[in-house]
Amino acid sequence: MNATNDTPDTTQPAAGEVIRATGLTRTFEMGSTTVHALRGVDLTIQRGEYVAIMGPSGSGKSTLMNLIGCLDTPSAGEYWLNGQPVASLPEHELARIRNREIGFVFQTFNLLPRASAQRNVELPLIYGSVPPAERRQRAIEALRQVDLADRMDHRPNQLSGGQRQRVSIARALVTNPALLLADEPTGNLDSKTSNEIMVLFDKLHQQGHTIVVVTHEREIAEHARRIVTIRDGAIASDERIAEVRAP
Amino acid sequence: MNVVESTRLALESIWANRLRSFLTLLGVIMGIASIIATAAVINGLNLYVSEKLSNLGKGVFTVQRFGLITNRQDFLDAARRNKRLLPSDARAIAERCPSADVVAWEQHATRDLKRGDNEIRDTDIGGITPAILEIEPYEVEQGRMLMQHEQDRAAPVAFLGSDVVERLFPAVDPIGKEIRVRGQALQVVGTARKKGSFLGFSQDNYIKIPFSLHRKLFGTTRSVNISVKAVDAGQLAATMDEVRAVMRARHHLRPADLDDFGMLTAEGINDLWRSLTQTIFSVALFVVGISLVVGGIVIMNIMLVSVVERTREIGVRKAVGARQRDIVQQFLIESVLLSCLGGAIGVAIAFGASELLSAYTPLPARFPAWAPPTSFLICTAIGVFFGIHPARRAAALDPIEALRSE
Repeated sequence: MNATNDTPDTTQPAAGEVIRATGLTRTFEMGSTTVHALRGVDLTIQRGEYVAIMGPSGSGKSTLMNLIGCLDTPSAGEYWLNGQPVASLPEHELARIRNREIGFVFQTFNLLPRASAQRNVELPLIYGSVPPAERRQRAIEALRQVDLADRMDHRPNQLSGGQRQRVSIARALVTNPALLLADEPTGNLDSKTSNEIMVLFDKLHQQGHTIVVVTHEREIAEHARRIVTIRDGAIASDERIAEVRAP
Repeated sequence: MNVVESTRLALESIWANRLRSFLTLLGVIMGIASIIATAAVINGLNLYVSEKLSNLGKGVFTVQRFGLITNRQDFLDAARRNKRLLPSDARAIAERCPSADVVAWEQHATRDLKRGDNEIRDTDIGGITPAILEIEPYEVEQGRMLMQHEQDRAAPVAFLGSDVVERLFPAVDPIGKEIRVRGQALQVVGTARKKGSFLGFSQDNYIKIPFSLHRKLFGTTRSVNISVKAVDAGQLAATMDEVRAVMRARHHLRPADLDDFGMLTAEGINDLWRSLTQTIFSVALFVVGISLVVGGIVIMNIMLVSVVERTREIGVRKAVGARQRDIVQQFLIESVLLSCLGGAIGVAIAFGASELLSAYTPLPARFPAWAPPTSFLICTAIGVFFGIHPARRAAALDPIEALRSE
């Protein structure tokens, strides 16, 4: 266990902690057997950190990501996201947290096929009850951040894979969330496009965004400044990368 | 998410699958179109009948051998028991009922008429007392109506309906010409304005002759119909009681006996007509109700398919912050819009159908004004009722599972 999360005495999150999880446990009932996907994970992530979560398939990293993303609730343990306890919130409260505090980036982009890039980026704002004029303005601003302002009327099928992923990053950024949560963001992209996307994440990190990337590729993980490795439902290692990489 | 956004999404989704949407809606379209078309025809008939009956005038009723009989047993009983009505009955009413202003009577026979090579079949030959004109005026096209002195001396004269004029006098002015009925030559004194047809039956295939002449030509064994106009239309019921008392006395009925004659008022006929059409409409409503339920089930089915197809979309929406109620709202609005779209198409078809029916068929269809709002309510109810299950199913999807689906 690393020194940064070595705070066993206090259960309340300190200021500047985006994620604070203690004893995070998740079990699934599969017929008569109980599968322990996570066995008491403690994890703290400070504002502005760039963290990669690594692990082989079946290690529990997807389960951890779902819990961090408030798509799932833990069987046991406590979880604070941006200072708010979320472990036992009802469905509509979790939806509100996902809307305001988290920006998801998916491996398969998950854009709505019939909607333009701009409409796709507006989607979280629609559920956040932002008025149409402001929605449009913020969507254009987010697309500009990912250099796609000139493609905002294009539909996903008129865009390349890299452009689609940038639209989905714009959608994640548009609510100005506390946490950017990316699940294998380069899994469906070639290596050149992957690099472009990771450069974009580097830029967002420099701008001060808190980023968590879930990946099984060492190369991708090394863009982050901290790599948390999960194995058998527990944290196997938590290392900081000090050196400045060549761009 | 607000309703405007949900509506926009639903319209996009319906439009993206427009052929499927249309096919889905056929049940609702047919159901709504047929119920409104039926209502339009019945509405038209009701208006027509009320209008015709109001021509009969206020404060008027008729005494007939048979009243309004709606089943076979009643008819058989009445045929056995009811006596023929006689001109003397009518005269008795005229003498003994002070509240009866006008009393007229008539009898009828049906014959084919010929004139040279021209022929008309099944013409109604009515023998009337001219007093009937004070109760039921005829619109005269040419010449004049029958007169009292012609009745008094059984003059051989006739007043013709417009069908008879057209068929027997195709190119000649009929006034002053002769027509033969049962070998008797009658002089035409007047012709009537065309009334048109009702349900395909012409109302102009008749001639009127003096009642006294009719008795000579067709005999005295026919029952007469007696028309009575009350002095005060507001006291119609009292007048009817007077007439009933006279008739019962003449037929020697005891207090416990039922009337052995029938009395009809315009309101009575209208009520009977309306209860008849109401029954037809109820049956139609039941049949169409089934088709609307089937239409609703088809909508539910297609919405369930839509939920499966859009599982991943639902997952994305939930991931970016859609609550369950947002998803329910989205799918419910889609099913309601779908159903109302079907209703709107159905209303449009029914409107077109009722216009065509009244233009090209004898049915006097009239599109009812309540049809669009009622259809809207019914379709909204169908959309909600059959949409709630698919919408709930969509909302209950686990976002993790939904995002993972293909």
